[in-house]
Amino acid sequence: MTETKTFDPRIVLDGARIVAVRLDDDLVVQEVAGDWCDVPVGEDVRESVPALIGLEDELAQDLPYLHLPFVTLGDSHETPAAISVQRDWKSGALWLLLRDVSEEAAIQERLVHQHNALSLAQRELSKARDAALAADKAKTRFLANVSHELRTPLNVVIGGASILLKPRKTALPAEDLHAFVRDIHDSGTLLLQLVDDLIDLSRAETGNLALVEEWSHTGVIVEGMVRLAKALPGAEGIEIVQSGDRVELYADPRRVKQILLNLISNAVKACKPGNRIEIATEQREDGCLVLSVCDNGPGMSKAELTIALEPFGQPKAHDAESGTGLGLPIVARLAELHQARFDIATAPGSGLKASVEFPASRLPAAAR
Amino acid sequence: MKAHKIVVLGDFGVGKTSLIRRYVLDQFSDQYRATLGVHLYKHTDTIAVEGMDREVRLVLWDIEGAPLPGEQMMRYALGASGAIIVGDLTRDDMTAPMRGAADMVEARLPGRPISIALNKSDIAPAPDDDLVATLRDRYGASIALTSAKTGDEVPRLFHALGQRIVGAGDGAV
Ligand SMILES: Nc1nc2c(ncn2[C@@H]2O[C@H](COP(=O)(O)OP(=O)(O)OP(=O)(O)O)[C@@H](O)[C@H]2O)c(=O)[nH]1
Ligand SMILES: [Mg+2]
Repeated sequence: MTETKTFDPRIVLDGARIVAVRLDDDLVVQEVAGDWCDVPVGEDVRESVPALIGLEDELAQDLPYLHLPFVTLGDSHETPAAISVQRDWKSGALWLLLRDVSEEAAIQERLVHQHNALSLAQRELSKARDAALAADKAKTRFLANVSHELRTPLNVVIGGASILLKPRKTALPAEDLHAFVRDIHDSGTLLLQLVDDLIDLSRAETGNLALVEEWSHTGVIVEGMVRLAKALPGAEGIEIVQSGDRVELYADPRRVKQILLNLISNAVKACKPGNRIEIATEQREDGCLVLSVCDNGPGMSKAELTIALEPFGQPKAHDAESGTGLGLPIVARLAELHQARFDIATAPGSGLKASVEFPASRLPAAAR
Repeated sequence: MKAHKIVVLGDFGVGKTSLIRRYVLDQFSDQYRATLGVHLYKHTDTIAVEGMDREVRLVLWDIEGAPLPGEQMMRYALGASGAIIVGDLTRDDMTAPMRGAADMVEARLPGRPISIALNKSDIAPAPDDDLVATLRDRYGASIALTSAKTGDEVPRLFHALGQRIVGAGDGAV
């Protein structure tokens, strides 16, 4: 037999960065053309090309359709390949083609990366813009609220005073006179309180509220606050008790009292005669000190609580008796200044527990 | 031993590559590098299935992210035994891309288990209980609050899916 030189396409594939692999129906490699990557003959192709794992059903089809444009073995720095599978109609043989796509991949990857990085940055930007707009809105609302809150008691003062100033033939009856003066006095007190609260809040917000910290005794602070609470208007008939550990705390005692007084007066406002308010000091196992004010009053829904935590966020219109509406925001800021965590647990019908958790570092080393 | 194909799907930048690399290589990088096409990771793990430790061979498909599943993502997902769908807890619009991917899995890979990773838990507050329950009930998915950065809940994410794949009998040894 004389050797005839015929054209062998396999020679062309050598060095062409493409490999053609003939498979049998069990996906065992029968023949390999091209030397770009190593696909051992006689072995299950899924060992060298794990991308085919799971695709057995598709490959068993008469007309398998498989084209995976960019596949990289991720744990090494292998070059990305395009993988495709076709069946040769004449012989019925299954052919796998592996092609080096590192050049296309390098360009595409840069494009995809730039696109993704840009659109992530754009999302961040629009998030920041939304936050800035919301902050701006909140500030406007706050200002509108401040003016409203100042107006109401001022109107009472001016209105009452003009009545008193009005020349009249017969003097006002003593009890009317007294009522006007009392209203003016109460409104003046509320105005003063409002201004004080606003100053506190704005100092805390701008970082200008300096704490005067010292070692003080929680027992003494709480006792004083319980006494004060019992004298609050509306406290008659409400049981107010103190419980728990008495420990030394490194804090600003005036501010701790302010925290407690705000929380207690909120509880008193929410409660009716027959309810109970407990002011507890508890040192937890992790060394934190938790001051809490817990009542068994009506409690609040999630939505009501969100409102209550906002400046002036009082669910109902208020008067001298219901305070300034700045109480909870101030408590939150004061707690923050002490690196304490402020938390409210409540649900409609199951009372409310407000707690301030001081870090262990604010307690004497011996007590931690 | 049969190997199982698991696809990891989700929007870009949510941490698919990071979760896989944490699980397989115990590595993490703060640098973002977008994935083009798909990167394959072979990994063998021991997973407890019905009280018995079983060795399981996995091929993890780290697929190029997209806000909506396109032609290419579907092509890559073909033949998977299960899917992990990743969302980024720091995003306001976390769920829409996850639902897109989960719906695609339901349509193209019917009956295959889904595990959901709510990722970047190290820098984001926990999600609403309602949201978690809705996703779980809607897709019969197991859900993990993961951090690829700290590694928190990452093994559990992959093990939960592995258990359901092997437990479903798909994985006769
Ligand atoms: N803080 C934090 N960052 C993470 C976490 N997971 C991922 N990242 C970061 O998020 C960015 C994107 O992570 P990748 O894993 O590349 O995201 P991907 O989903 O693979 O993105 P594509 O490949 O484009 O689809 C990177 O900068 C990561 O470092 C996480 O759990 N916590
Ligand atoms: Mg990736």
